[in-house]
Amino acid sequence: MVASTLAACGGGGGDSATPVLNWYINPDSGGQAAIAERCSAESNGAYQIEVSQLPRDSPAQREQLIRRLAANDASIDLMSLDVVFPPEFAQADFLAPVPEDVAQEVTEGVFQGAVDSATWNDELVAVPFWSNTQLLWYRKSVAEAAGLDMSQPVTWDQLIEAAEGQGKLLSAQGRRSESLMVWFNAMLESAGGQYIEESGESPDDIQFGLSTPEADRASEVMAAVANSSAVGAGFTTASEDTSATEFESDDAGFMVNWPFVYAQALSKVEAGTLDQSVPDDYGWALYPAVDEGTPSAPPLGGIDIAVSAFSPNPDLAYEAVTCIVQDENQAEYMVTNGNPASSIAVYDDPEVQEAYPMADTIRESLELAASRPLTAYYSEVLGSFLREFHPPGSVNDQTGERTETLTRAVLSGEQLL
Amino acid sequence: MTQTTLPPVEKTQPVSSPRGTISDRSRAERKLGWLLAGPAFLVMLLVTAYPIVQAVYYSLFSYRLTDPENRSFEGLGNYWVILTDAVWWQSILVTVIITVITVAVELVLGFALAMVMAKALSSIRPVVRAAILIPYAVITVVSAFAWAFAFRISTGFVNTWFAWLPGVSDTTDWFGGQASSLFVICIAEIWKTTPFISLLLLAGLAQVPDVLQEAAKVDGATAWQRLWKVTIPNMKAAIMVALLFRTLDAFRIFDSIFIMTAGANNTESVSFLAYRQTISRVEIGLGSAVSVLLFLSVVLIAFSFIKGFRVDLAQARGDR
Amino acid sequence: MSTKQKTWWWIGGVLIVVYCLFPIAWILSLSFKTTADLANKQFLPSAWTWENYTTILTGTASDLFLPALRNSFGICLIATFISCVLSMFAAYAIARLDFPGKKLILGTALAVAIFPVISIVTPLFNLWRQIGLYDTWPGLIIPYLSLTLPISIWTMSAFFREIPWEMEQAAQVDGATTWQAFRKVIVPLAAPGVFTTAIIAFFIAWNDFAYGISLTSTSRARPVPAALGLFSGASQFQDPTGAIAAAAVIVTIPVVVLVLIFQRRIVAGLTNGAVKG
Repeated sequence: MVASTLAACGGGGGDSATPVLNWYINPDSGGQAAIAERCSAESNGAYQIEVSQLPRDSPAQREQLIRRLAANDASIDLMSLDVVFPPEFAQADFLAPVPEDVAQEVTEGVFQGAVDSATWNDELVAVPFWSNTQLLWYRKSVAEAAGLDMSQPVTWDQLIEAAEGQGKLLSAQGRRSESLMVWFNAMLESAGGQYIEESGESPDDIQFGLSTPEADRASEVMAAVANSSAVGAGFTTASEDTSATEFESDDAGFMVNWPFVYAQALSKVEAGTLDQSVPDDYGWALYPAVDEGTPSAPPLGGIDIAVSAFSPNPDLAYEAVTCIVQDENQAEYMVTNGNPASSIAVYDDPEVQEAYPMADTIRESLELAASRPLTAYYSEVLGSFLREFHPPGSVNDQTGERTETLTRAVLSGEQLL
Repeated sequence: MTQTTLPPVEKTQPVSSPRGTISDRSRAERKLGWLLAGPAFLVMLLVTAYPIVQAVYYSLFSYRLTDPENRSFEGLGNYWVILTDAVWWQSILVTVIITVITVAVELVLGFALAMVMAKALSSIRPVVRAAILIPYAVITVVSAFAWAFAFRISTGFVNTWFAWLPGVSDTTDWFGGQASSLFVICIAEIWKTTPFISLLLLAGLAQVPDVLQEAAKVDGATAWQRLWKVTIPNMKAAIMVALLFRTLDAFRIFDSIFIMTAGANNTESVSFLAYRQTISRVEIGLGSAVSVLLFLSVVLIAFSFIKGFRVDLAQARGDR
Repeated sequence: MSTKQKTWWWIGGVLIVVYCLFPIAWILSLSFKTTADLANKQFLPSAWTWENYTTILTGTASDLFLPALRNSFGICLIATFISCVLSMFAAYAIARLDFPGKKLILGTALAVAIFPVISIVTPLFNLWRQIGLYDTWPGLIIPYLSLTLPISIWTMSAFFREIPWEMEQAAQVDGATTWQAFRKVIVPLAAPGVFTTAIIAFFIAWNDFAYGISLTSTSRARPVPAALGLFSGASQFQDPTGAIAAAAVIVTIPVVVLVLIFQRRIVAGLTNGAVKG
C-alpha cells in the first residue's frame, strides 16, 4: 500500500498509472537514455524509466549516491555503478537482492571478470552492463621502426626502450586519481600478485598483497616508466584524455588506454582537425606484461546496474534491468557510445565488428582482465594508495609496505586520509 | 560610543513630552528594537550556532554513514587522531602559507590600486572602478577555472608566453609539484580578492585629512615620507580591518583548491581536509572533529587580531 | 597636476583595467575555441566557434547546465530577498532605536561572517538528510542566509545611519500621517541602500560553492558553480574544457552587467559596510 502510493507520487510526469523508475546514470553520449526509452516502450506501460545524470568521475558518482542512499532516499531505483563500488553498497545494505532467476539470466555468457566485479560474498549484487578494458595502442610506424613485433606479447621494458630509442612518447596515466590504481593493479596482477589477497567483513580481516615481491616488481616497473624520458611533460597530471591527445600528436609512440581513443580520433578526422593518416597508423594489442613470460592482465572497467534497496518497486526495477542489459541494447550502446559490451556474444555482431576493427582484441582483453581490489572500503584503499604511490616516479620497493600500513591505520580510524 | 549613533531624532523630540514617561518610552523602544532585529539575530544563530554545537557532538563519535551500526562513542579520540596526524599539520602549513602570501601581496597591491583610484583622473575613474569590481563579483570557481586552464599544459598559454623566463618552458607542469601548484593557487586568489582590499583601503585613504598632507608638504616632506608618516598611520584602522577580513577569508580557502588541484601534491587546505572526511569519506565523526578544529583556528586568529593588534571594529566602522 | 603626472596616473588606470579583465578575456576566448583548438597553447582561438555554447544550451550538457542556472537564480534571489527583509528591520532598529544588545547583534553578524562554511556543512548535511531538506531549494536558501545576512545587516545599517530621519518628523509636522511620512520621505531615502545591499548579497550567494556541492546531489537544487565541476566531455574520459568555459562566461554575464550599471553604489555599499569614510 505504502509502496504503491510512493511509486505514484514518485511519478511526476507522464501517465499517472505507470510507475516511474528513476535511473541514475553516469554521463555518456545519450546511449543510456535511449535504452531507457526503448525499454519503457517495450514494457507496454508496466513502467517508465527516467534518467538523471551523475557527475563525471566515479568517486564523485559514488559520493552522490551514497549520500542519498544513506538518507534512505526512495527516489532512486536504478543506478549505474562503476565496477569498483558494488561491494561497498552491498555491505551497507543499499542494494536490493537480485532475484534468483534474474541472476541466472544476466550472468550467462558474460565475461567472468565482469561477473566477479558484481559479486560480493558469493552473491550477485548487481548486474553487469558494459565492460571496459585498456589496450596497448601503438603507432604502426613507430613500432616498425623500433623493430618491435607487436603480434607477440610485449613488456613494459620493451616499450620504454622502443619509445626512448625512437624519441617517441609512451603515454600512460600518472595523475593522482583512480587511473593510477588501474595501472598499478594491472601490473601487479601481471606479476602474479593480488592487491587484496583475502577480503573480509571487517577491515581487520583484510589481507593485503602489497609487501610481496610481486608488488615490488610492479612498483619498480611503474617508477621505470615514470622516470623514463619516454613519458610526456606533466606525467604526474596526465589523465586518459591527456594520453589520448598525446597519442594524436607527431611524437606519439605507445599508449595504454581505453578504446574511446579510437572513436575520438575518428571524430576529429570527421571534424577536419585531424588527418586520416593518424588513426590509420593506430595499432592495438593486448596490455603489456610486466616481464617476459608473465601473462597480460589488462585493467577491467565498466558499469554494473544496481537496484536500490529503498526502491518502492524492486521487482519492476529488476525487470527493467533485464531489459536494459539484453544483447541488442549492449550492441547498440557499444556502436553508438563506444562502451564495450559485457556479454561475449555481442562481439560477433556484424555491426560491432564493423565499427570496431579491434573488437576481437577487446574481447580477448576482457577475457584476461583483472578486477581492481574488491572491497567494501574501496575509497579508503584507493585514497591510501594514492597518497603513497603518487607521484609515480618516486615509487620504490618500500612503497607497497608503507601503503599497507597506512591503509590499515586508516581503516581502523587511527589516521586521517 | 554606540549611543551616539543617530541621535537627531532625540534632538527633535517634542518638548511637550512629560519627563515621567521617558523610561516607558525607552522600554517600548527596547522592545521594538528587539522585535525588529530579533528575527535576523535568531536566524543567524540558528544557521551557525546550532550546527556547530551539533558538530561538537558528532565529533565525539566514530560514525561512518555507510556503517551506522558500528557507531560508537570515542570521546576525544577523533581529536587525538587528527592532532597526531601529519596530514592535519600539512594542511595547516599549506593554509598558513597561502594565507600569509596572499594577504601580504594583496595588501601591497591593493594599496597601489587604491592610490591609483584615488588619484586617477575623473575621466577614467568610472572605468577603473567598474573594472576593479569585476574580479570581486566573478564567481571564485570561474576564476579558479580560468587560471587553471591558463597554466595547464594541455590548454594553457602561460608556458607559450613566458617561455623566455628561466625555468619556464613549453613543458613546465605547474600542477605537478607543491610549490608551483601553490603559486598558481595564490595568483588566482590574489587576482580575485585584491579589489576588495583596495576598496577598503580606498575608503581609508579618504579618511586621511588633507590638511595633514598639506602641512607635511609645507614642512618639506618627500612623497615617500608623507606616505609613511602621514597617510599610513592615519588609515591604520582601515588597514587592520582589511587585514583581519582577508586573513580569515584566506584561511578558509576551499573553492580554488578544489578546482585546481583537488588536493594533489600536498596542496590540501584545512577546509578541504574537512570536506573530504565528511562528504567524500562519509566519516561524520572524524569530519566533524576537523570542522570543529577549523572553527577554533578561525576564532583564535580573530581573537589574536582583535586583542593583539587592538583592532577596534566599532571605531573603524565610524561609530565614533 | 602636471601633464606628466597625469599620464602616469592614466597609465596606472589602464594597467588596472587590464589586470582586472584579463582572466575574463581569457575564459571568453577559450569558450570560442573548437575542441581541437583547446590545446593550441595560444591565447586566441585559431578558428571561432559557437560549438561550446550549443553544447551547454541545447546539447549534451544542457541537462546539467540549464536546471543549474534556474536553481542558481531562484535560490540566490530568494535568499537575497529574505536576508534583505530581515536585515532591513534589524538595520532600522540599529540605526534608529536605542536599545541594549545592539552591539551584540552587530558582533554576532561579524562572527557569522567569519565563520568557516565547511564547519557548518557537516552537521547541516546530516541534519538535512534526516529532515528531508537535502537536495532541495530551502536546503540551500537557509544556509545561504548565513552568508548574506551579516553583510546585509552591516551594509544596510551603515546606509540607514546616513538617512536624515528628522525629515520624517518634519513631514509629520506638515500634516502627513506617520505612514505617509514613512512612504513619501523615508522609503525614497532608504531605497538606494536596500537596493545596494541586495546586489552585494546576491553576489555572495551567487558565488557559493561549498554548500552547493555538499548539500545537493541532483539537478533538483544544484547551483551553477557546483554544476561546473560536473560537466563531462564527449566520453567519460574527455576533459570538458570548452563546455566549462562557455558556462563560466554565461554565469559571469549577470554579475558583469550588475557591476557596470551599479558600480558607484556597490563601491559605496562595500566600503560603508566595513569601514565608514
